[in-house]
Amino acid sequence: MTSLYTITKPPSAAALQSCARFLSEGDAILLLEDGVYYSTDAKNWPALPLGTKVYGLKEDFLARGLSKIVDTQVELVDYARFVQLSCEHDKIVNWL
Amino acid sequence: MNTTNRNTEITLLARSAPYGSGAAKLCLDVSIAAAVFEQTVNYIFLDDGIYQVLDEQDASAINSKSFGKTLEALGLYGIEKLYVDEDSLRKRNLSTNQLLPQVELVNVEAIKKFINQSKFVLTL
Repeated sequence: MTSLYTITKPPSAAALQSCARFLSEGDAILLLEDGVYYSTDAKNWPALPLGTKVYGLKEDFLARGLSKIVDTQVELVDYARFVQLSCEHDKIVNWL
Repeated sequence: MNTTNRNTEITLLARSAPYGSGAAKLCLDVSIAAAVFEQTVNYIFLDDGIYQVLDEQDASAINSKSFGKTLEALGLYGIEKLYVDEDSLRKRNLSTNQLLPQVELVNVEAIKKFINQSKFVLTL
């Protein structure tokens, strides 16, 4: 079963660091809300298993003035794609 | 999946220290609610959640209910084991003899398995 992990806290909360340890093949990450601040500095990122897709919700990037400094490893998605991603995975895990 | 089987497997990932916020208590409430409805609960403690399973907590000193005592009583609801992430334990310089008797150490692979086989995963 694949999971879509949503990260809603800024890098200081280290939710992605904790989550990264448990990623399996086919899992993906979606940065939401304050989770989008991960994209501001490459040093924020933990090592992710090769091939892990990372998405970010475009609206949350725009709202925070981050749309221009987005990390190349983050694929920006809109709400429609968010819904699609939710359906493509067996479950959603919000890693708090 | 057998549609007549109403049992669902749920993994709870407790990541918060016990008394500083409401998260740990919330997670505990979810575990009891799920267990009462006869769901399979994998209760896993990692990161700062490790502090919830420390033995000899006496929260009367801060006018609270001791977390450890409540966790020990979970057996009554069918939650016999409390799983503890061994890496989180090591990182906090703690060992099993400082933890509640019913804890069982698990590694990353075991936790990944719990997550993958569960219908619902909740981190708190």
